[in-house]
Amino acid sequence: MTFSADTVSSASVKSRSGKKFFTARRARRTAVALFLPVSLTLLWWIASDRGWLPEQILPSPAYVYSTMIEMIGSGEILYHAGVSLRRVVIGFIFGALAGLALGMGMGLSRRVDDYVRPLFLAFAQIPTLGWIPLLMLIFGIGETLKIIVIAKGALVPMAMNTAAGIRAVPADFVEVGHALRFSRWQTLRLIVLPGAAPAIFTGIRYGLTHSWTALVGVELLASSEGLGYLLVWGRQMFWLDVVMVAMITIGLIGFAMDKSLDASENYLQRWKKEGAD
Amino acid sequence: MSVQSALKTRRAVKIRRGLTIPILLLIIWEVSSRTGLVDPRFLPSLENVFLTAKRELIDNNLIGELSISLSRNIAGFFIGSIVGIVFATVLALSRTADALITPSFNGLKQISLLAWIPLISIWFGFGEQAKIVFVAIAAFIPVVLNTYEGMRSAPRDLIEVGHALRFTPLQRITRIFLPSALPSIATGVHLGLIYSWLATVGAEYFLAIGRGVGSLIIAGREHFDMALVMVGVFILGLVGFALNRIAGAAEAYLLRWRRVVE
Amino acid sequence: MTILQLSRRALMAVFTASVLALPAIAAEPLTIHVGYAAIGLDSRPYSEGTSAATARAGEYLEKEFANDPNIKIEWFFFKGAGPAVNEGFANDQLDFAYQGDLPSLIGRANGLKTKYLLASGARKPLYLAVAKDSGINSVTDLKGKKVAYQRGTNGHLAAIKILEANGLTEKDLQVTNLDSAGTVAALTSQDIDAAFGDTALINLAAQGNAKVIYTTKGDDPRFGRNAGIVAREAFINEHPEITQRVVDAFVKAAQWSSDEPNRAALFELWHKSGTAIPILEDYFSNDKLAYRNSPLIDDLLVSQYQKQGIKAKEFGLIRRDVSTDGWFEPKYLKTSLDKFGLQNFWQAYGSNGKPLGS
Repeated sequence: MTFSADTVSSASVKSRSGKKFFTARRARRTAVALFLPVSLTLLWWIASDRGWLPEQILPSPAYVYSTMIEMIGSGEILYHAGVSLRRVVIGFIFGALAGLALGMGMGLSRRVDDYVRPLFLAFAQIPTLGWIPLLMLIFGIGETLKIIVIAKGALVPMAMNTAAGIRAVPADFVEVGHALRFSRWQTLRLIVLPGAAPAIFTGIRYGLTHSWTALVGVELLASSEGLGYLLVWGRQMFWLDVVMVAMITIGLIGFAMDKSLDASENYLQRWKKEGAD
Repeated sequence: MSVQSALKTRRAVKIRRGLTIPILLLIIWEVSSRTGLVDPRFLPSLENVFLTAKRELIDNNLIGELSISLSRNIAGFFIGSIVGIVFATVLALSRTADALITPSFNGLKQISLLAWIPLISIWFGFGEQAKIVFVAIAAFIPVVLNTYEGMRSAPRDLIEVGHALRFTPLQRITRIFLPSALPSIATGVHLGLIYSWLATVGAEYFLAIGRGVGSLIIAGREHFDMALVMVGVFILGLVGFALNRIAGAAEAYLLRWRRVVE
Repeated sequence: MTILQLSRRALMAVFTASVLALPAIAAEPLTIHVGYAAIGLDSRPYSEGTSAATARAGEYLEKEFANDPNIKIEWFFFKGAGPAVNEGFANDQLDFAYQGDLPSLIGRANGLKTKYLLASGARKPLYLAVAKDSGINSVTDLKGKKVAYQRGTNGHLAAIKILEANGLTEKDLQVTNLDSAGTVAALTSQDIDAAFGDTALINLAAQGNAKVIYTTKGDDPRFGRNAGIVAREAFINEHPEITQRVVDAFVKAAQWSSDEPNRAALFELWHKSGTAIPILEDYFSNDKLAYRNSPLIDDLLVSQYQKQGIKAKEFGLIRRDVSTDGWFEPKYLKTSLDKFGLQNFWQAYGSNGKPLGS
């Protein structure tokens, strides 16, 4: 656990150091932020060295570290992470596109909204995990199941946020479009979608988080590869070190997704600003 | 008057439209399962689902299973929210704690909730404790994030007023930070409630067997009893809906109170 | 502060302490937590096929402590099987447990402080069932197929040994980790091609939903799997007399389960787990009850466990050497056997698999 925070902060320093970001203040802040993880790791190390905590409750950090190095070296981590990522990407793309379409329908047409929203809301009340057994009966435990569950995770927040974002575009803007005799497509492309973009982005962010959670869930229940499988495998074999390595990897990927979304959101906002200029 | 009647017809239209697809789906469902168009193992007849629900309710103590799940959910939710609010308050108000702990928290929160399952089951074993801890973690994270945000965005002038009035730290928390963070806290608690329900289901799926609606659904899957799974999933949805409604009402209530104060 | 005040305080303190301590000394209530690394059909809190299952269904432990109102027995059955039992031991939530060879060795390799008290469910066979239209006719056909078993259980190790004997490794298959109930569902719906297991698979085959194509029964005895009653060391040290009585109860259950005239009654009792009687008959066909239900920690058993430990390491299931030295604690078993005059009731086997002293 401590590893994730550790690696994370050093990575962020490295990535920005080129831009003269490495000021004394920043270094101090990083050092303070590292204080807790480092001292906890130290405590953990001493505790397991002295046998204060039984090994089956907490393996020594050195052991976790060596397992991690070993699993990176053997390509095992990369393989399982790759399997999981591929599932998330495919499922997310399907789910996000479907959610975008549905959200646009609901946001643009009151009629569509009236027809679809109640059922959609009812559908959204059920936790994604709740669907898994039902979908398992229909689709079995293969790849299809995983993709559908992940897609479902992305669909709901995506649709909700897109619809809300489109609804929130000020009517004046749309009228400006009318005044400029924009075609329907132009209004959508030049006014509605840019106006709704921040909300859509929120949808993407939540959608990706939900997809990632759903992935771990579905891999825990039935799979023969992937990071969730690694967790089950480690739990069954009582390999806490493997469990922790899998957790760290999941955390790091989550972090990377978060950061890249941040970056693209910033980029998007810059674009928006330029558009406004 | 005409506005009112227009609103009325609008509402009628909304209800009519809202019901159209569900009713159509139900008809298609019933027809296809009656005519054997679809394998009844995948799509049992409505009657079968209804009978299963009745059987579970009357003979198999469905309410009992549900109350077990709910009490787990509530216990974990309260622990997670209260600890979360306190924790976030400390982080938001103490510069040292913030610098020391917040980066680590932000690192840990990246670990997907369900990934904690193996560690929790190894650390807490097969009892009720493990499940409640898991549910509490689920509630804890959104509550911390939102409370922290809310406290951090307390208006500067209010804080200065507190300084001028020589508020004690406790007074500053109860009179300035908590009230101004209330909307965010409410959002966090609302999210916490939703996540804790997800975690309750997850705990019943992945931690040791026990009773509860989640276990019922798993049993249904193992028997290829689609009707039972559907009943279980329906209940999950109903509870999710109720929790959402309760949280929404509580949120509205809190915000109204705030508006009056202003 | 006067002396009077001081002594009054002291008196109060002594009084409070004694009030608190008294009931603890007079009638120490104790709950014995017994785990079982399996679960009945539809999560029934029963199992079958072992003397431990007999002890449970026949309430041997409850009867043993019937006259001790302060001692309660609590049973726990685990869908998560042996690995879940280890989680229970790690948290001191279990005092005794029926557990298979691989998970108990894994627990030991990870530093769980346990002792092996007596055998139960040793020499259990394993079955390989395949989905109806899978076209798999032999173990070698499994290559590249979706095969289910429960990781970390004794069936897992036994399965790998079978694969190895047929020139395959785990990596040659797509292994899906499923518990017994999950396996049945997946095999019925043909989500998987094959699965390793026992009575649940025989049952599935009897219903025509799968086909058993291989069993270790009657094959090389080294392919089999073992199990036994494992106890938490701290509990044994704290309550040696109670441990003795628990072992007594298990031995009585083993004796009754080994008496051939009881065969029908035994299957009837095990039927509480939900497994149909004909399935149990099949599972025990051609086997003497005394062979399968022997509690003896004989040379064969000890050497089997040692070999399992080595094999498990070799297959990468355990990542450091696990020693069985000092783990077996036959003292309690021996006392029971002497007490009930059962020294020669069960045949002991040598490490070569041949009966000892014959």
